[in-house]
Amino acid sequence: MRGNDAISNALRFLLILFLQVFLFRQVSLGLGGKEYLFIYLVPVFTALLPLRTPRPLVVLFSFLLGISVDLFYETLGVHAAAATFVGYARQFALGLLEPRDGYKAKSSPEGKDLGNRWWMQYLLLMVGGYCVFFFSMEAFSPVYWRDIVVKSLFTIPVSWLFCIILVTFLRPRI
Amino acid sequence: MERILRIFFNNGSFFTFVGLQLLCLYLIINYNSNQAAIAAETWSIRSGKFKSALTTVNGYLDLREQNEIHRREIARLRSLLPESGYNITTEIDSIQDDSLLQRFNFLTTRIVNRSPYNPNNTLVIDRGARFSVQPGQGVMNESGLIGIVDRTTDRHARVLSILHQSTRISAGLANRGYGTLRWNGLDPRRMTLIDLPDYVPVAEGDTVYTTGFSNIFPTGQVIGTVEKTERQPGAGSLNLTVLLSNDPLRATHGYVVQDLFKEELGSLNEN
Repeated sequence: MRGNDAISNALRFLLILFLQVFLFRQVSLGLGGKEYLFIYLVPVFTALLPLRTPRPLVVLFSFLLGISVDLFYETLGVHAAAATFVGYARQFALGLLEPRDGYKAKSSPEGKDLGNRWWMQYLLLMVGGYCVFFFSMEAFSPVYWRDIVVKSLFTIPVSWLFCIILVTFLRPRI
Repeated sequence: MERILRIFFNNGSFFTFVGLQLLCLYLIINYNSNQAAIAAETWSIRSGKFKSALTTVNGYLDLREQNEIHRREIARLRSLLPESGYNITTEIDSIQDDSLLQRFNFLTTRIVNRSPYNPNNTLVIDRGARFSVQPGQGVMNESGLIGIVDRTTDRHARVLSILHQSTRISAGLANRGYGTLRWNGLDPRRMTLIDLPDYVPVAEGDTVYTTGFSNIFPTGQVIGTVEKTERQPGAGSLNLTVLLSNDPLRATHGYVVQDLFKEELGSLNEN
């Protein structure tokens, strides 16, 4: 089955890393010297891992992608922390959105049997979790909660949109 | 054991998550300057709170030591009491059978109140006329002088501290040179000994004692040490700066010195 084996997951890993680091790293919009809008694709990788992947491995793979992104962003540990969090939170997102008759045993999060609506909700949870956790780790103190909230409000919708577009491109191929 | 292993196995993702998060926190704090500063600040606030709590506890632990100091002081004073000494004057056929007649009574007291620090310091002790405390009696502690009783009530007495500008105490050196000790209102650790004749040899570091001439304090109580000598031109006298051996501002306990011979000695000075 396409998009479900180790090779396509590895390809996605490299593709998302490449896009994030060389393309979307350049995107940052803001006002008055402060930047509020970023685009993060990292959670897409975690979201697209097959459903049967053992949960500790989901956490571990997410961490690996996060730490790779960190190496290019020069924020060692921050992306890794957020990606690890998303990797851990994926099981709860899946549990929350579980269809009435459960997931099919062999499926990756496949558009065909889960539908666009399911995908959008799923990605929103992943991207939202990622951004909130990432900005919290970046600020590193509850004192800056305003920054965290504003950055999340700007970043989540745009990142979500880009993630949906990316998934639409990836799903039939790898 | 099997249960513990099962818990680990069933919650593998949780433990992986926690382990990797800890690793991430370590990386964040060690490789990001902003987050490192925040972490250091938070740590210092927390540890500051911890340290102040520790100081409070240590204040109580210190009580044992303070008790020990007081016990030693009591033991020392007891050893000075006449009944703990062996009186040899009776052996050498002498008429001084009253050589140890009690002259001074020492009444323990606590300092319960004190004026704000100013050039004229006073304090209040919790012994008064009921314990026959009278104006003019001295107050001292084991390391130096504290003041002179000024006014009494039934249970309390007001004491003019030696750090009061109107205090005058007769003080001298081991070589019998003597003068008047007073305070100029500036440095609570130093007093001035004035009117010491300038032919008296004085060296820095000499000990200054009470003379007992004014019947307030016993003779030979240590007050402090000479820090500086200043010759008064034309007056033929020396002014000595005396570094006090105690800290009257922080004393908490003292002894009221009651001179039983005061009236008798005072009557000699009446005209």
